[in-house]
Amino acid sequence: MFNSQEIISTIEMVKNEHLDVRAVTLGISLFDCISHDLDVFKNNIRSKIIRNASNLVSMCDAVGEKYGISVVNKRISISPIALVGAPFSASQMVQIALTLNDIAREVNIDFLGGFSALVEKGIAKGDRALIEALPDALAQTQRICASVNVASTRSGINMDAVLDISRAIKKAAALSAADDGLACAKLCVFANIPQDMPFMAGAYLGVGEADAVINVGVSGPGVVKKAIERGLENSPDMGLGEIAEIIKNTACKVTRVGELIGREVAKNLNIRFGVVDLSLAPTPTVGDSIGEIFQTLGLTSIGVPGSTAALAMLNDAVKKGGAFASSYVGGLSGAFIPVSEDLNIAEAAAGGYLTIEKLEAMTCVCSVGLDMVPVPGDISEETLAGIIADEMAIGMINNKTTATRIIPVPGKKAGDKVSFGGLLGEATIMNVPHATNRDTFLTRGGRIPAPIHSLKN
Amino acid sequence: MINLSLPEPWNIILEVLFILIYQETKCFMNKIIITVLGKDRPGIIASVSKSLYQMDCNLQNVNQMILQNQFAGFFIVDHPADLTMDSIHQQLEKDLDGQNLKIHADVVENKVNGNNKSDEEIFLFTTIGPDQKGLVARFTEIIASYNVNVTNLTAIFKGGDEPTANIMSYQIVITSDTDQAGLFKSLRQKAAELGLDISIQHKNIFETINKI
Repeated sequence: MFNSQEIISTIEMVKNEHLDVRAVTLGISLFDCISHDLDVFKNNIRSKIIRNASNLVSMCDAVGEKYGISVVNKRISISPIALVGAPFSASQMVQIALTLNDIAREVNIDFLGGFSALVEKGIAKGDRALIEALPDALAQTQRICASVNVASTRSGINMDAVLDISRAIKKAAALSAADDGLACAKLCVFANIPQDMPFMAGAYLGVGEADAVINVGVSGPGVVKKAIERGLENSPDMGLGEIAEIIKNTACKVTRVGELIGREVAKNLNIRFGVVDLSLAPTPTVGDSIGEIFQTLGLTSIGVPGSTAALAMLNDAVKKGGAFASSYVGGLSGAFIPVSEDLNIAEAAAGGYLTIEKLEAMTCVCSVGLDMVPVPGDISEETLAGIIADEMAIGMINNKTTATRIIPVPGKKAGDKVSFGGLLGEATIMNVPHATNRDTFLTRGGRIPAPIHSLKN
Repeated sequence: MINLSLPEPWNIILEVLFILIYQETKCFMNKIIITVLGKDRPGIIASVSKSLYQMDCNLQNVNQMILQNQFAGFFIVDHPADLTMDSIHQQLEKDLDGQNLKIHADVVENKVNGNNKSDEEIFLFTTIGPDQKGLVARFTEIIASYNVNVTNLTAIFKGGDEPTANIMSYQIVITSDTDQAGLFKSLRQKAAELGLDISIQHKNIFETINKI
C-alpha cells in the first residue's frame, strides 16, 4: 500500500505539474513495400501502415486512461522515403508525401515522420529527388515531417547537401508564406541523427530497426521545476550538487512512467518495444517549460551568462536519472530548447536575453540544436547554410546529435511576431547578424572531412 | 462434538453442517484472529504478545493501525490443539485486565478477499476536496453495487481549504467480471456531484513513481 504522501505527490505530478507521456511513436519499416511502380508502392505503404497503426491511437488512449497519464501525441515514423522510394522522381516523391498525409489522417495521427534522406557522405538518386521534392511536399501536406542528415562524426559535413537544404528551406518558406513559413517547421536538418527518436519533426525509423517498434518520448519539465522548487523551499541554501540530485531522481521517475506506458502499449499491440527517449520536451504552456527551470535555478532568464552551465547540468542530470530507470534509452535523450514551442524561451528571445549566438552555444551541451527558430524572411541561402553548417560542426566534433529547425518567415523581420499554432507555438523573430551576406565559403561545396577522433577502429 | 440446546431436527442439521464445514476448513481451524482496540499508549502489543506467548500461541500475522489516538491491533495466531478460542479470549481478558482495552476473538475463515480471480487488477481512486458528511458511505455504496471489493481505504478529513487535508483513497479490485467503465463513470459522476476532484489510476503507476 502507498502512504498518502506518495499518493498525493503522484496525483500532483499528473494534475498540476504536467507529467505526461509526450509521444508514443510507432516505427514501421517500409522496406518490404518497395516497388518500381508508384501505384503499387503507394498501395503497399498504405496497407502496411494501416495494418500496424489502426489501433495505435485507441490503445494509447486506453493505456493512458488506465494509469491516469495522458499520452499527448501518437505518431508514426517510417523508413527513410529517399531509400524505400529511391526509384522515384521529385514529383513522384510529392505524390508519396500526399499519400502519406492521407494515411496519417486515416489513422488519426497528427504527424508522420520519415520523409527523410541520409546524405552525410553523398547524395544518391533517391536523396536528390527527395530534397527537390521537400518544398512542395511540406507545403502541400499538413502531417508529414521531413528530416535530412547532412553530417556525422564518422563522415564529416556534406556541404553540398547543406546548401541544397538551405535552398529547399527558403523555397518551402516561400510556398507557405501565408502561414509564416510553416512548412519549415516540419523539416529538421541533422548531424548524427538517431535511428529511434520518437520526437517530431526528426523521427524516422532507422535501417537497422525491427519491422515495427514502439518508441516512447517522455516529458516533464514542469515536474522537474516543481521538484527543484520544493527542494529549495525546504533548504534555501542548497548547493548545485544537491539540485542535480533532485533533477536526477525526478528524471528517473518520469522515465519509469514513460517505459511503463510504452511497454504496455507495445504489449497490447503485439509490437516490439524499442527505447525511451528521456527528453525534457516543453510545450507553450505555463508550467511546462524548460526556460522556467533556468529561473528556478536562479538565473534572470534563459540566455543570460550562466545559462550554458545550467543547461549542461540539467541535461546531464536528466540522462543519469533516465539511464538508471531504463536500460533501453535512445533517441535524443536530453533537454530541448525550442524557441517558439516554449513560452518562456520565446519570451527570453523577445526580451533580448536570448540571442541566436547564445542559443547556438547552448546547443553544445544539450540534446538538440537550433530548434523552432524563426528568422527574418530575407535571410540569404548562404547565411542559412552557414547557420546550419555551424550547428552541424558542433554535432560532428562533439560526437553528438545536433539539428536545426529554422523558419525564415517571408516578409517579416527581426522583432516581428509569428504564430505557428498549437504545439508549435509563437515567437518573436530572432535577429540574425549579417543575414543577407552571400559568403562564398558556403557555396564552395564538397565535404568537410570527418574529424580525427572518428578514426576509432 | 458440539452441544447445542436446540429442538430436533435443528440440532442434527446444524451438527451435520458443522462437520461439513469443519472438514472443508480443518487445516485452518487452529487459526484465530484477535482484535485489540483501545487508546494508544506504549506497551499494548508487548502485553498482548506476551500473553499469547505464555499460552504457547504462534503469531502468524500482526498489523496495527492508529487513527488519531486510537489503537487497533490485529493478531492472527496458530494455537495449540488443547486450547479453544474462548479459553484464549478469557486468558487475554485476564492478562490485560485494567488496561482498558476491548478484545475480540474470531475464527479465521478460509476465504480470500474479492472474487479470488487470477485476472485481478488493482486500481486506486482518490478524491480530494471539501469534507462533508456521508462521503465514505456514498462512494462505498457505489463500489458495493458493482460487487467490487475495497482492499484498502484511507481517509483523512481535517477540514479547511488545504487540498491534502481532505483526501480519501480507495484501493479496489477489478476483475474481468467487473463493469469497469460503468463503475468508473459512476464514481466520477458522484465526485462531480459532491464537488470533489477524483483520480482513478491503476496501482502500477504509484509503484512506478514511488517504489524504486
